[in-house]
Amino acid sequence: MSSIAERLAAAGTGNAIELRGVSRLFGALRALTDITLSVRPGERRAVLGSNGAGKTTLLNCVTGDFPPTSGTVRFFGEDVTVLPPHERIRRGLRRTYQISLLFQRLTVRDNVYLACRGVSRSRFSLVRTRASDPIMQSVAELVALVHLEDVADRLVGELAHGQQRQLEIALALAGAPRFILFDEPAAGLSPNERRDLVAILTALPAHIGYIIIEHDMDVALRVVESVTMMHNGRIFKEGAPAEIEADPEVQELYLGGGHG
Amino acid sequence: MTTIFDNEPRTEAATRGDAFGRWIGSHPVWALVIAVAVIFALWLVLAPWPAGLEQVFGKKLIFINALFNGITLGGLYFLVATGFTLIFGLMRNVNLAHGSLYLFGGYMGYEATQWTGSWLFSYVIAFLSCAVVGIAMQFFIFRRMEGQDLRQTLVTLGLSIVFSDLMVWVWGGNAIQIDTPDYLDGPVVTPIVVAVRSSGETVFLYYPAVRLVIFAAAVVIGVGMWLALNRTRVGVMIRAGVDDRDMLSVLGYRVQLLFVAVFAFGAGLAGMAGIVGGTFQSLSLGEDSHFLLASLVVVIVGGMGSIPGAAIGALIIGLSEQIGTVYFQNYSTVLSFLIMVIVLALRPQGLLGRR
Amino acid sequence: MALAETTRQAPLGVGEAQRGGEFGRWVSRHAAILLLGVFMVIFPAIANDFFLRQIAGWTMILGMIALSLMFLGGYGGMVSLAQMTVAGVAGYMIAVLGVSSLPKVSFFWPWWVAAPLAIAIAVAFGTLAGALSARTEGIYTIMITLALATSFFYLTLQNWPIFNGFNGFTTIPAPHFFGVHWGDPVPLYYMILFFAALSYAAVLYVSRSPFGLALQGVRDNPRRMEAIGYNVTAHRIAAYAFAAFIAAIGGILLVWQNNQISPFSVDVGVVINLLIIAVVGGLGHPIGPFIGAFIYVILRTFALDALVAVGLDGRRFQTLIGLGFLIIVLFSPDGVVGLWRRWASRVGASDGRSGR
Repeated sequence: MSSIAERLAAAGTGNAIELRGVSRLFGALRALTDITLSVRPGERRAVLGSNGAGKTTLLNCVTGDFPPTSGTVRFFGEDVTVLPPHERIRRGLRRTYQISLLFQRLTVRDNVYLACRGVSRSRFSLVRTRASDPIMQSVAELVALVHLEDVADRLVGELAHGQQRQLEIALALAGAPRFILFDEPAAGLSPNERRDLVAILTALPAHIGYIIIEHDMDVALRVVESVTMMHNGRIFKEGAPAEIEADPEVQELYLGGGHG
Repeated sequence: MTTIFDNEPRTEAATRGDAFGRWIGSHPVWALVIAVAVIFALWLVLAPWPAGLEQVFGKKLIFINALFNGITLGGLYFLVATGFTLIFGLMRNVNLAHGSLYLFGGYMGYEATQWTGSWLFSYVIAFLSCAVVGIAMQFFIFRRMEGQDLRQTLVTLGLSIVFSDLMVWVWGGNAIQIDTPDYLDGPVVTPIVVAVRSSGETVFLYYPAVRLVIFAAAVVIGVGMWLALNRTRVGVMIRAGVDDRDMLSVLGYRVQLLFVAVFAFGAGLAGMAGIVGGTFQSLSLGEDSHFLLASLVVVIVGGMGSIPGAAIGALIIGLSEQIGTVYFQNYSTVLSFLIMVIVLALRPQGLLGRR
Repeated sequence: MALAETTRQAPLGVGEAQRGGEFGRWVSRHAAILLLGVFMVIFPAIANDFFLRQIAGWTMILGMIALSLMFLGGYGGMVSLAQMTVAGVAGYMIAVLGVSSLPKVSFFWPWWVAAPLAIAIAVAFGTLAGALSARTEGIYTIMITLALATSFFYLTLQNWPIFNGFNGFTTIPAPHFFGVHWGDPVPLYYMILFFAALSYAAVLYVSRSPFGLALQGVRDNPRRMEAIGYNVTAHRIAAYAFAAFIAAIGGILLVWQNNQISPFSVDVGVVINLLIIAVVGGLGHPIGPFIGAFIYVILRTFALDALVAVGLDGRRFQTLIGLGFLIIVLFSPDGVVGLWRRWASRVGASDGRSGR
């Protein structure tokens, strides 16, 4: 399938995310069909589409939560198609989940601590981390970034929904991310919290790129420079936010008919 | 709804037939290896052994007896494990009291043969008494803790301790054997040659009739269950529930009825198996954990929630135990253990299990 | 897995930050366990050999083995029934490699060779059990580990060359060094106390280490753990190895205290009783298994007489244990530790109200 020239080209482009012919089947159901997508380092991209368009499956194929049925996934030029999720995370990939996947019976601080420890060394250490350890500094900073200092020592299971969503974002920012996948980060947030989210996203260092799936167009189109539209497991349009908004076909399918 | 249930089995059965052909097409080497193995196994069983083979492995009679004992033991294990796997598949309930139900059924069957003198009638008694216990367990306990699989398992554990102690109280610790009925007593001649005498006379295998009849019954029950699960409305509902838990919510209140029915049926089968076990071997203290272990290993090897998986697993474990006992006396349980380890390492969900 | 009560502890780092003034508060917060420690140290002065061996010794040994189950179940969400078997492997190995009444089977190596080797073999076995069940989830763990445990029981029963079959091993002496006969009641008591306290403290300490916290993360959400950079399977297997180490020490102490080991030290009943001990005590805190073991040992020692005294059949001891276990599982899934916590928080709440 892929000639040497093609492979060289893929490795040489230096794209952050590079999907080639990615398909994913669930039994007889085609969730993704022949997706080819490339995102540059530092690029911020929105993936839009109705429910069931395959957006979350796309993220799952990139992170390895579900491997693709066929096709290849490259992360900064390296073929990661068969790597387990934790290996991809250690290479600088991060993600958030649409439905918060948190450690309910640990405190907020411990949740963030685990995320910081997960991408550093001594994950298997039997020695407790001292308060003076640099990692504790990053934990405190991340907790402050998402405004959870007041509840830092509460169990996550006791937190309000909005706070859990904030924590979800904090976990994805731990360590030194190179590329982040946000799966509907604004879902369930109050207007104030949405403003905070936009501030956090726009304040990310320029070298960190991301893909964001979002139903709230106000959030999505303000924090990205390019948009990919998906429909029935396929990509059917790519472009700048203004182009996509103006596109009559897109308007008919999504923006006009409401989303959901 | 109705159309889904009525159409599904036919289409699935059709695709399954194709799948077999496709599998051979896509795995020609494996298909060849399996075919050669089957032919070799048939030759081992049917032909008289050459002298060289007998020198290495001992008399053919011993091998054939181990083989037959293994297969018929597999039939017994299937009867026990199939209820276990069905209950697990549908309700995610690991019923650790399943061995106790087996033993209880055996004891009730023993009592029934003592009272009525009818071996066949005792199966009815064993089935009904265990089914009643199963219904009581599902209705009074598990219904109240649905979805908490670990807690349910711990409850079955507690019940198994209480049951086993109460059974020792009633029936004592000594082994009890259920008499084989007269019409099945003694051996029958099978068309399998075990040796050729120097006089040229061929010696055929004599094998206890009751074991063959019971094995045949296990096959009939297995095929019947498979048909019931694939060709009846209730069966398709059960299968859909095993494959997709969300399906169950569609059934609403009837899901409770389904659970009770499956629990009763699985428990009843274990009870009937108790009579089989009491006739083949004996009933005593400790047999409950023996058959619980057998069910666990069979279901782990075959795949949770799969009836054909239970059949294959039961056959493999029955054979490995009997062949192990004959050829590696000190390590016969290690053989089943090794099989389990290999299956878990290569296919954690079991041979025919689904993720 | 509603069984394991949430482990609430001080947040990371606190205590190390302001060490000086914290000491008094630390003592008052741990008053109960400190008192218990002092009591255990002076216990030999007030108790006879029967209480040292049959009550305290058994409680601590069974508590240690159950502690290894609690570590996996409470922190890792993996209820392993193979922990008693791990202890049994260590016990059998000390009998095979060390000294016993069977010169044809045992190697008669000195204890300082036999004991570390026995522990190493048992840890290898426990890690293998972990590797087999770590790739499956939740309820499968119970099935696989129970199958392993029962297989080992039948192996010891059938195998004569290594395990001496039905009879097992007898007359296995505890070692003699530093001029002390460690098999004597008081030295043996202190040796068991030392290891029990050490393993209790180790589990408590490790529960707040990176490894222990990650294990709790795996318990709460294995998929997310993968998504923040952890190899979940490797973490689970490592937890089995850690737990096996504790169980193995417990198994060797068991043999030294008992002087014998046989298939009936590892049969299904014993394996299940160990789970009962851990669950009744509570999987939420490392003290739970010791409480469970104490209740179990007291019942085992005195229930027979008590049952007879109230006119019941003393042989129905197992029914009593089973019913007690059922009551705990049905009405207090987090065990005695959970009962105590709920009681403490209710008392605390009413104190707060009256103080206002």
